[in-house]
Amino acid sequence: MTESKIYFKFDGKKYAGNQGDTIAAALLRNNVRLIGRSFKYHRPRGIYTCGIEEPNALVQIINEHNEPNVRATVKKIYEGMIVKSQNRWPSLKTDLGSINNILSPIFSAGFYYKTFMGPKGFWKNVYEPLIRRTAGLGKPPKEFKSKSIHQHHNIDVIIVGGGLSGLLAARKFAGTNYDVLLVEREDTLGGVLKNADKIKFINDQPADEWLEKTERLIRNSNNIKILKNTLVTTYNFSDHLIALEDKNVGKPQDNEKPEFVLHKIRTNHTILANGHIERFITFRNNDLPGVMLAASFEKYLNRYGVVPDESPVIFTNNSSTFSLLKSLTDLGHKPKAYVDIRDQKNIEKETVDLLEKFNIPFYPKSEIEGCEGQKEVKKVSIRTKKNQISKIKTSMLCVSGGFNPDIHLFTQSKGLLKWDETLLTFKPDRIFQKTITLGSVSGNFSYEKLLVEVEKKLSKFEGLNELEVKFELNGPEKFQIKELWETKHEKKSLWSKSFIDLQNDVTTKDLRQAVNEGFNRIEHLKRFTTNSMGTDQGKISSINALGIVSKILKKDISEVGTTTYRPPYSPVNFSAIAGRSTYEFYDPERKTPLHSWHIRQKAVFENVGQWKRPWYFKKSEDETMHQAVQREAEQVRKTAGILDGSTLGKIEIKGKDALTFVNLMYTNSFTKMKPKTGRYALMLGEDGMVKDDGIVCKINDQHFIVTTTTGNAASVLAHMEEYAQTEWPNLNVYMNSITEQFATFNLSGPKSRVIMSRVFNDIDFSNDKFPFMSFDNFKYLDTEIRILRASFTGELGYEIYVPPSHALKLWQKIFIYSRDFDLVPYGTETMHLLRAEKGYIIVGQDTDGTVTPLDLNLNWMIGKKKKDFIGKRSLTRTDIIRETRKQLVGLVPVDKTLGIEEGQHVIEQKDLSLPIKDPIDMLGHVTSSYFSPNLNHSVAMALIRGGKRKIGSRLFVSTENLNTIAVEVVEPNFIDPKNERMIL
Amino acid sequence: MFTIRCPYCGERDQSEFSNGGEAHVARPKDPEQISDREWSEYVFIRANPKGIYYERWVHTHGCKKWFNAVRNTSTDEILKVYKMGEAPPPLKEFKNTIKTPSGEPDVGSGNFSVKKP
Repeated sequence: MTESKIYFKFDGKKYAGNQGDTIAAALLRNNVRLIGRSFKYHRPRGIYTCGIEEPNALVQIINEHNEPNVRATVKKIYEGMIVKSQNRWPSLKTDLGSINNILSPIFSAGFYYKTFMGPKGFWKNVYEPLIRRTAGLGKPPKEFKSKSIHQHHNIDVIIVGGGLSGLLAARKFAGTNYDVLLVEREDTLGGVLKNADKIKFINDQPADEWLEKTERLIRNSNNIKILKNTLVTTYNFSDHLIALEDKNVGKPQDNEKPEFVLHKIRTNHTILANGHIERFITFRNNDLPGVMLAASFEKYLNRYGVVPDESPVIFTNNSSTFSLLKSLTDLGHKPKAYVDIRDQKNIEKETVDLLEKFNIPFYPKSEIEGCEGQKEVKKVSIRTKKNQISKIKTSMLCVSGGFNPDIHLFTQSKGLLKWDETLLTFKPDRIFQKTITLGSVSGNFSYEKLLVEVEKKLSKFEGLNELEVKFELNGPEKFQIKELWETKHEKKSLWSKSFIDLQNDVTTKDLRQAVNEGFNRIEHLKRFTTNSMGTDQGKISSINALGIVSKILKKDISEVGTTTYRPPYSPVNFSAIAGRSTYEFYDPERKTPLHSWHIRQKAVFENVGQWKRPWYFKKSEDETMHQAVQREAEQVRKTAGILDGSTLGKIEIKGKDALTFVNLMYTNSFTKMKPKTGRYALMLGEDGMVKDDGIVCKINDQHFIVTTTTGNAASVLAHMEEYAQTEWPNLNVYMNSITEQFATFNLSGPKSRVIMSRVFNDIDFSNDKFPFMSFDNFKYLDTEIRILRASFTGELGYEIYVPPSHALKLWQKIFIYSRDFDLVPYGTETMHLLRAEKGYIIVGQDTDGTVTPLDLNLNWMIGKKKKDFIGKRSLTRTDIIRETRKQLVGLVPVDKTLGIEEGQHVIEQKDLSLPIKDPIDMLGHVTSSYFSPNLNHSVAMALIRGGKRKIGSRLFVSTENLNTIAVEVVEPNFIDPKNERMIL
Repeated sequence: MFTIRCPYCGERDQSEFSNGGEAHVARPKDPEQISDREWSEYVFIRANPKGIYYERWVHTHGCKKWFNAVRNTSTDEILKVYKMGEAPPPLKEFKNTIKTPSGEPDVGSGNFSVKKP
């Protein structure tokens, strides 16, 4: 077979690989063993596995996304790919961080918790930056636009895993009425059939031929969809699974096409056929490049045609390594030695025969004590059955410590596990959801029994196909294993280590130390040592850790239990999670009908909820925000200003019982209120705290329109709906949001009446005909507008409600008619300043959910004669009427040139010099503060303890440094306390 | 992520709904006539059992209707859904799902992945 070569770069050097190679396969093809440096000790690390379980071979892909921590054993190469090793400096071969390995006695379990305790400030400024530089993995990507999409499925059956068991299940469903999804994480179906040479014939055909026919049959059935390169990461409640499909396998990024598809699958039945994972054995220096799991080695031979080493040493505690032995000898290679911890009489005849036939040195009842070598394995040291150490030169050691059913997804589904004494592993016991486990994930390691299992577990489905499958195996059928988690080994030097978690550099010594220090619960022990907390989640090692810990604690493994398996099964890219919800699609942006005008007038925008609101308008390029706000605020009180208030929430309330309902929702009384008038109203929660404010306009007793604050529009409507539906369903009342049906202009200032009279020359705006807080509807062109006389600035003011289609023209018309008066458009910042001068509150700025109307001096808004309204009873609770509650007051600096900062503390003490011995009593905090151009000094509002009784006294406000500002406590009403400007 | 059967729209994803806390907490008829303690119990105090819980839900991103549901809080199984104003189903209807005194079921709570036989 001639294949075209694919060229890629690893750490600057060019290598050639074959089509379909993973980075690891291609590097092994080129005899590259050293791939990266470890997390903590910076030890040299190589390729340990051949799949998703890889703890060591993490690399960085250099491209637009700069993907870090990519498993070299999963990611396929493409032409021109640039790969870099991680966590090393200055280079992979000479890494200065490896000094940590010599210093390792101080890096033991709980090192971070114990070491970096002080002095104050050191964590933030010294330790953390230092640790971040030396520890850790790859570099995070730069900002980029996600090209991932989400896809939803509603199906009958999902089959997770396209190996032999998954294929048999799919074969049963092919052509039936069930809607089935078959999900395979690799780019080909077959699983172990492709990885190892365990099965000679299926139904008298070579395994590959059977596989091809089966896939064709499944593909041609119209009820099964096959997803390849798709990893199921999550198994949620209600049989909801999440799977990640990689659309760029073996291809460079394509900015036009989606890179990942996140499949969200809702299914009726989940068939888990996701197989097993081989585990390792701990010995001295079991992390050296050149140590590899046996089944992974075999996978490189069979799937990629790569021979990682022609004469490795094989070390096992079970019967599965026969097939590796067979695959190697079939290729004409001869292993250096075969080391099995079992007695010769327990080792399968097939294996012994093969060893004898090829004259391979055989060490029964022996174990690997350790490995020697600096950057890769040079020698292994074998403890023979006579307890003698025998050293063999080799550059590779294949290890098999047994197999774990891949129970991650099963436990995510909240199924229970049990310990299997013969397989020496946890396997599924009781299901919680509609889960079926098939094959090795269920703990069935026997091909002969597989068909029986499939037939039995799928018997509840009706109308499935009959299946006849006959296997002819190459090796021993029965799986045999002897317990071994860690071999006996001696510490040779500071450099010698025996790892239990390769990615997080956790040693078996750390486990012992943690238990000694009292962390004898597995969940605590995991967090203290960081065992199995890497990106690989301890896939090849976590059960080994349980085995070792159970020995230390002298408990059964099932008593030790497992740690909790949580989604995702393996890391999921943020870009896949985000999908299309990024940048402009992250959250809807709402713009008022006047937005284009604002842009033309150089508005600087502020986000208020989802709305874009003008914050202030820049008159010239070099005008600062402060200058603009001062100019706008001054002009409003001098002549007139206009604000785009379209974002205000507007709710229409109708129904026979509308009056009763509005009386219950708001504190004020609306019963005696005349039609066509409005009222400033407060909405409370049942706890008596201010929830929202707005203006309630009464058209008649059956019809109201209320406004809400911009940010609370949705929650106020929801609050009303809740009470209408759950508490008072007997009331005949309906409400609807009309926020977007009207644009709102707030015209304000001494000249606003004359402007209004010019714009609407047929309407009489005199105080008698159009008094404060009255409104009416008027014909305007082909539509109707509503004008309300109200004010949030303390000046004479009008609110105009106009359908959005007419908004821009009317807005421009107002400017044309106000040329003589220098009408100024103003933004939210000026609105805040003007209302603060009047002492008007902003819900959410001057209140925070712990503030009652009484605290705000708004007693006059409470309809005390009303029998009930939401929150009324709470206003007479003992805690609410307490005089020492925090209450709203005004603050004016004694030195009028000083400014007060929002959020600063109000205190009684002037001196704040260090050292501060006793805690300083905080009376409250500054909620609003502005420099008033109309008063020419700062004005502020604050919530302070017992504030009402403190009016007239002198207090202090803290500042950024240790100074304080002396302030006078005043009524929160700085301009025109008698409201003469507003109601004239 | 579980699904909820809205009594008006049918089975939908949990993300369409908002939880409204304990159900069947009646607002006192005459708040002025009750003590501070009784009122604050209505406003602030809610049951929080591990096991069977009667609670309110609203189909926020759907029909916006409120309804009641019975949920096992340790497994997130929705055991029953019924409309506002309908009588709550008696607790004994769900008795079999509570296996231990604390209300934790044998399988599904996720507190342990291995149980001693």
